[in-house]
This record gives sequence, C-alpha cells and structure tokens, in this order.
Amino acid sequence: MSEGSKVSAGGGKKRYAMVVDTRRCIGCMACQVACKAEYDTPLGVNRTWVPYKVVGKYPNVKKQFLPRLCNHCEDPPCVRNCPVEATFVVEDGGFVLQRYERCIGCRSCMAACPYNARFMLPSHRTYTPITNVVDKCTFCFHRVTQNLVPACVQTCIGRSRVFGDLNDPNSEVSYLVAKNATQVLRPEEGTKPHVFYIGADRNTTEFGRDAYQKREVMELERSAFKSHFKI
Amino acid sequence: MGDYVWFHDVSWHASYAVYFFVIGILAGLSFISFGSWRTPALRPLREKTAYASFVLLGLGGMLLIADLSQPMRFLNILNPAYLNFTSPLAWGALNIVAFSIASIVYILALRRRDEKNGQLLALITALLALGLPIYTGFDLTVHQSRPVWNTPIMPVLFVALAIASGSAVGALLAAGNTEAQKVLREYMLWSAGAVAVMLVSIMGTTNYGGSAAELTFMIMTTGTMGLLFIGVGFLGGSVAPALMLFAPMGKSQGVVLVSALLILAGSAALRYVLLMAPQQLQTLY
Repeated sequence: MSEGSKVSAGGGKKRYAMVVDTRRCIGCMACQVACKAEYDTPLGVNRTWVPYKVVGKYPNVKKQFLPRLCNHCEDPPCVRNCPVEATFVVEDGGFVLQRYERCIGCRSCMAACPYNARFMLPSHRTYTPITNVVDKCTFCFHRVTQNLVPACVQTCIGRSRVFGDLNDPNSEVSYLVAKNATQVLRPEEGTKPHVFYIGADRNTTEFGRDAYQKREVMELERSAFKSHFKI
Repeated sequence: MGDYVWFHDVSWHASYAVYFFVIGILAGLSFISFGSWRTPALRPLREKTAYASFVLLGLGGMLLIADLSQPMRFLNILNPAYLNFTSPLAWGALNIVAFSIASIVYILALRRRDEKNGQLLALITALLALGLPIYTGFDLTVHQSRPVWNTPIMPVLFVALAIASGSAVGALLAAGNTEAQKVLREYMLWSAGAVAVMLVSIMGTTNYGGSAAELTFMIMTTGTMGLLFIGVGFLGGSVAPALMLFAPMGKSQGVVLVSALLILAGSAALRYVLLMAPQQLQTLY
C-alpha cells in the first residue's frame, strides 16, 4: 500500500465516505463476493459482510440488511492503539490503511475496533503471500487512486452503496448525506465513522438485550464457524 | 429465525491472561525484594524473590512474543522509528526492557553483596515493576468500546492483583518463616480486600451500564464465566482469603498458606475472565 500515491489532483484535500442506503439493499451479497475476488480474502474472514435480521411479526416480516465494512473513522482507535504505527490514516482521502510488512500481529487494533472490521490473515494462502498479519477494508485505495470506485460499490446491483468525496459539495455522497437522515454505527464511541447508513434498523445497529438469549440455532452456527476457523 | 450473523473471533486469547498472571506475580515479587531492605522480617526473601521475578520475566516475555502472529517482528516494537506513544503496548515494551535491565543489574549487585547500591537498585526495579501491572491495565482501559475494560479502575485493580499474587507466592516461598509470613499476611489481607472492593464496584457499574455493559455483566456472572469470576475469583480468591486472614486464626501458618493458594487461583481466574468476558459480546456485533 503506497502512502505516497496522490489522491487529490490539486487544490483541497478529499475526504472519502460511503453511503449505504439499506432501503435499496436486496441482500444479494455481490459486494461481499466482489471484495473477496478483489483481494483474495481467505475463507472465514471478510473485509465486508452483510448480516441480516428478520424483523417484524408474521405475516408482516422482512429481512433487514446491514452491509458492514471498515468505517474509515476520522478518529480511529485502531491507529491510536497500534504500537508500531503499522496502521495509519492517509491524510488526503481519509483512508485507514495497513502496513503489512510492519504489523507484528499483536491484535491490539482488532481489540480497539468497535466495528469488528479487522481480522487476522491465516498462515497459509494459495495465491497471496501476505499472511499472519492483520488485514481490513481499504476503501479500495488502489482503485480509488485510479479514479475507480471500490469493488463493492462497482458491483452493487441495487445502487445501495454510493462512494465519493464528502468535501466535494457536488458529489453524490454529499447530496445523500445532506438530504437524508443518516446514521453511523456506534456514534457513542466518538470515532466519527465515514460510512453513513440510510434507513438502518436499530435491531441491526445496536446490541439488543436479546443477544444474551442466544438461540440454539445460533450456537450451532457458532460451533460450525469455530471448527472451520483455525488460524 | 433465519438471521445471518457473522461471528468474529476474540482478539486476545487465554495466553494473554497467563501473561497478565505471570507479570503480576513478578511485579509483586519485586515489591517484596525492595521491601526486604526496609522490613527486616522480609530479609530472607530478598534474593529468592529477585531471582524468581527474573525467571518469571523470561517466561512472560516468551509468552508475549509467542502470542504475536509475527513473533520475529517483536523487535519492531523497540524500533524508535516505529514506536507509537499513543499505544500502551509501546510504553509496556519500553517498561519491560527497562525492568529487565534493572533486574539484571540488581541481581548482580545482590550476588556481589553490594549493600551500598543494592537498596537503590531495588527501588528502581520495584518502581519499574509497578509500571508493569499499570501498563497491562491501560492495555485494556484504552479500548473505548469494551465494557469493563474501559473503566479507570483497571490499572489500579491490576496493581492490587499484583501485590496480592506476589505476596501469595512470597508467603509460599517463606513457608516456615513466621516473621516473614506475618508481614506477607498483612500484604495479602489488604490487597485481597482491595481487590474485592474493586470487583464490587466493577460489577455495580457494569450491571447498570448501557445494554452492552449489562450483557457483559450477564456473561461475566453466569455459566462457566460466572463460576470463574464470582466463584473462584471474587468469593474464593479475594473475599474468602481476606476474611480468613482477618479472623483471629488468620495468623496461623496454615491459614496463611491456604489463603495464598486461594489468592493465586483467584487472581488467575479473575485475569482470565476480565480478559475474555468483555470480548464475548463484541464477537456478535
């Protein structure tokens, strides 16, 4: 990941953000697949993922999707907590990136992230030599510096994900943030996230008290997950 | 039904709790070694505690390095060009290195029977040892999104646990020496009492926190975690020894030794629960 790559062509600095309109998300998981393909993300871990909850009461039920990724925070706790500055913020653009060659794998950034956006890469990968270090979503830094949008945005069939420069008043993200009621995840943490949600359901954005009453099916899924998650 | 939840792994596993336990004991032993210069009753423990502390430092250091997913890069944390001073881990690494150097110099002074410099070196070693539980507490405290961890009491609790577990090991090392055990009984009594009070305050603030804090409280106080936290850690490892040592029979050697064992088991369980339980809820987010 080159820190020197220019993001802004000139003039003021950019501040990239993503708006996720959950009303338009159909849960096709194409974003998740596109991201996996872009980065050869191994099994068991994800840079972006789309959890859902079924809300309402029969017959008025619906699936409430909440696409998730790194929030590229203005005040990222992961950057503050990394002892070797392996993770850093690109000032022009606001990307939170990772120096793989410097990461010692202490997992302090993983513990610090309120969004579970970071994960440990396994020790063996078929095509990619980067192993045993912490990885995360980069807002597709390599694509954005080539004037492309992130892979997940490119592939989003419902145009649920919109990406752009918040500092540009004419960008679509600026318009969406200005004209819609938006939410960010866990605002109480003071991280100032740059992934904005439109129409996110509180059932999916907050810890519900029912999280303790774990259903049996969830326990089965968790055991299956654990048994396949040997790093 | 039919919800799709992506489960996440906990960031720090149980080996980190073992490291906390070891680092706490070695800090407590360093305090005793320094105390031996001021309290004659502890004099027979001066060398034993200094050596034991150094051996545990080696063990703790190896645990810490082995826990990294890139163990060979542990030197990065000592590279001045890389150090990030907003991370307690960076301060911790410097503290461990400084403590190691001070320990070696202190042990050399003890072997040379250098009474003149020994006391000063013991003081420096003990002060650096004090930094170890403080930094491990801050290691957890700085994570703003974690209930229990993100409380100002954590570094203080870790210091109290270090005094309790170090004194417990000291009491076992001093078996048969009633004078030394009399002093260590006092250390254990007050530190175990302080741990119990701090645990009550943690439970209170956690149970009346937001939904994440309340759920963490439920995780900490029920099931296996509850058995370890309330049963082994709180009741068995701090309340029971404090009561036993406070009672009239508390000065007998048998009670002191049993209390020491209870404190050690309790402080190990507490470190495990304090590390693991606040990570459980986050795995579902």
